[in-house]
Amino acid sequence: MFKLLKEVLRVGEATHKYPFAPAEVCKDFRGKPEHHADRCIACAACTIACPANALSMSTDVKAGTRTWSIFYGQCVFCGRCEEVCPTNAITLTPEFEMAVGRKEDLITRAVFKLANCRSCGTPFASAKEVDYVARVLGAYAQSPEEAERIRRHAEICPECKRKRDVEQIAQTAVAKQMEIR
Amino acid sequence: MNAPIFGDKLTVKPGGASMSGDVAALKGRLLKSIGRSIYVYRVDCGGCNGCEIEIFAAITPIFDAERFGIKVVPSPRHADILLYTGAVTRSMRMPALRAYEAAPDPKIVVSYGACGCSGGIFHDLYCVWGGTDKIVPVDVYIPGCPPTPQATIYGFAMALGLLDQKLKETTHVEGVDEAAPLIHPDVPYGLRIALERRAREMAGYRQGRALSEEFLAALAANEATNAGLRIDQMIAKEEDPRRAEIFSQLRAVFTGALAQDPT
Repeated sequence: MFKLLKEVLRVGEATHKYPFAPAEVCKDFRGKPEHHADRCIACAACTIACPANALSMSTDVKAGTRTWSIFYGQCVFCGRCEEVCPTNAITLTPEFEMAVGRKEDLITRAVFKLANCRSCGTPFASAKEVDYVARVLGAYAQSPEEAERIRRHAEICPECKRKRDVEQIAQTAVAKQMEIR
Repeated sequence: MNAPIFGDKLTVKPGGASMSGDVAALKGRLLKSIGRSIYVYRVDCGGCNGCEIEIFAAITPIFDAERFGIKVVPSPRHADILLYTGAVTRSMRMPALRAYEAAPDPKIVVSYGACGCSGGIFHDLYCVWGGTDKIVPVDVYIPGCPPTPQATIYGFAMALGLLDQKLKETTHVEGVDEAAPLIHPDVPYGLRIALERRAREMAGYRQGRALSEEFLAALAANEATNAGLRIDQMIAKEEDPRRAEIFSQLRAVFTGALAQDPT
């Protein structure tokens, strides 16, 4: 009996204090993915990478909005979204207290505005994404005029860009032929 | 056998013969005046066993859910809480419904894990119903793949009304002139991508991003000292040889970029 008590005293209390004290989580613990909507450019890379389709993106052309949403009930906490995010907008936090009574409480949404093409007027990407691309490419510009030109070029939809390219190629080809003759 | 199955017709709707009273009131009274341990019956509806392992981890002495009187029982007839794990496969639908009917009213249904909440990674599989709430009314959802023992204890505490819910449904609407900040605007874009790529090759995607961020932070630190010197100091100070190796590899990438473009 004495031996047993001695052993008990030696070992001490093994039980974790949680929930009366904050739980300790290990380094690199993958918990609730936290979305920083201010950093998000609505590029939808995470929604493609998500293996469980917990992340989704829907576009409402009429309202001119793009809605990003995460459903924590479907998330498998793999961290693929964090991997692919170009702007570090989604990160996995050590937060694990996610139990809810209403299923809707597991959903987080972010609504972004759509950008219309300069040339044809159809919406083609989120306004924040276009702005981000213009700023990344604009950092390489030699002059403010060139940065402005890059920005204007970024605000054109891929379809119109293709058409313009074809037109330009046709023009230069004609000019070249004229030179040869 | 091959007759079409309609999901909504097979769903158990609250308010049958066994639920003549006000279920919510009964449940409230159950929680207030139970005066004994809460018995939990675990229904495995085709899970991968990860959830089961975590449930049993939660009742071991380390996490000890029995401190709160939460006991796992072997029969649904003793149960106050039904714990559904797994994505509800076609063949487990009937046993799951039988377990639900066998448990005495009022009962609390807890949907456990990503599969229980919505079907998780199996949500669009042909042979699953995709979530416990498709067949029985659920009171508490515990997400996680699998939920850790702490998350399990938190979920139980929430089901018993001991702790409050933290997560709320939120919708962010883009503000006027909201712009995503550039990451490390002082570092050239090409160099940043090259560093990230090398770090990810060496350390895997997640740690690679963390390591390259650490490296870039050291690189972009606005100090009077030479950036190369600062990084050499960081590598010398590093105690973990694996991290030191990766940092020196990143240093090589940085030196290469510097040789090409000295700005």
